[in-house]
Amino acid sequence: MESFHYSQFSQEYSNVHIALFTNVTNATELRNRLVQASTMSGPEGDAERQAVDFAFIDATLICSTLHLKSAILNSVLAQAQGALRTKTVHSEILWNLNPTNNISEAIRRYGVSSSTTSLLVVRIGRPGDPATVQMQMSAVVSGDLSPTSRLAGITDWARVKKYYKILQQIDADPQKDIQRVHEIVVSSVSMKSVIV
Amino acid sequence: MVDLQEGVLAIEWINGKSVRFLLGGGAEGEEEVDEVHGDVVESEETDEAEEDPLKGYNITQDDIMQLIGTEIAKMHEADIIHGDLTTSNMMLRPPSAPDKSSELVLIDFGLAYTSTLVEDKAVDLYVLERAFASTHPASEPLFASVLKAYERQAGKDWKAISRRLDDVRLRGRKRSMVG
Repeated sequence: MESFHYSQFSQEYSNVHIALFTNVTNATELRNRLVQASTMSGPEGDAERQAVDFAFIDATLICSTLHLKSAILNSVLAQAQGALRTKTVHSEILWNLNPTNNISEAIRRYGVSSSTTSLLVVRIGRPGDPATVQMQMSAVVSGDLSPTSRLAGITDWARVKKYYKILQQIDADPQKDIQRVHEIVVSSVSMKSVIV
Repeated sequence: MVDLQEGVLAIEWINGKSVRFLLGGGAEGEEEVDEVHGDVVESEETDEAEEDPLKGYNITQDDIMQLIGTEIAKMHEADIIHGDLTTSNMMLRPPSAPDKSSELVLIDFGLAYTSTLVEDKAVDLYVLERAFASTHPASEPLFASVLKAYERQAGKDWKAISRRLDDVRLRGRKRSMVG
């Protein structure tokens, strides 16, 4: 798990924890739990929402930790300026990962679905003990906690290219092609606020 | 990352030196690094010359010219006009591994805009040609390689741009109007 903080933002939402889970087995239940938690009322509902207060991201669509962190930074910035386009800073990460403005599409594409087997789980919030956050994440996700460095072998470049409408092979050399796609995707996510 | 509210821009850090610096002193005493064997071929005048700024880049001045031509052509292909092409606005990234090559990175797009006009592309090249001649007078003959590489990358677009460039040259400052 990676934990860091942005010193330029207020303590309330400057701490970030990122964990990668592989061999996830409860994707469908997790998704149902998220949907339910959003509609539940009363203290029970609050407790549920607390338990799943993370961003659950399909790891196969993430090109690198830089890619993810670009989306995270933009989300933290939006929250700090009171300019969130979605309900929470966590859903904002999913929105920032998607090239279009459609919120449902973003959640559908980049969020957890029944076919998800690798998940990136992110918590943005107050300073917290990484070990505690990790425990809270593991309580919700049934899978193997893996080092984020493993992300490189998980990315489904074909799907990434499809969502970003990169239809042709940019470079004959597959390694260079992936590099170019990575550059395009990270740039697009970073500049989402100014790319109409 | 762009923070419109605070007026903050986060841009990529480019490792390396500017092409202006690397082509620096110019004329005599340049050491050329042989790409295949990595031997340094020293000319007789190098005794007084400073250490070659190109050391470690595994590249010759002519290679740099070709990279410049190729990259500008790619940019023009996307209809992007730099607006301020000089060797100070080009950086060379050293190779990431011994078997890799250096990369040319164009920077400072403060005066850039988009245009499909051949005129704008020709002027973009002309600005570079003049800047080159004034900052690196001894390397002027190398500039031909820039245009050759541009031609190779631009393909069928080159003819029109080349013609326009000739016209633009005739228009420039301090040009004789005897005709």
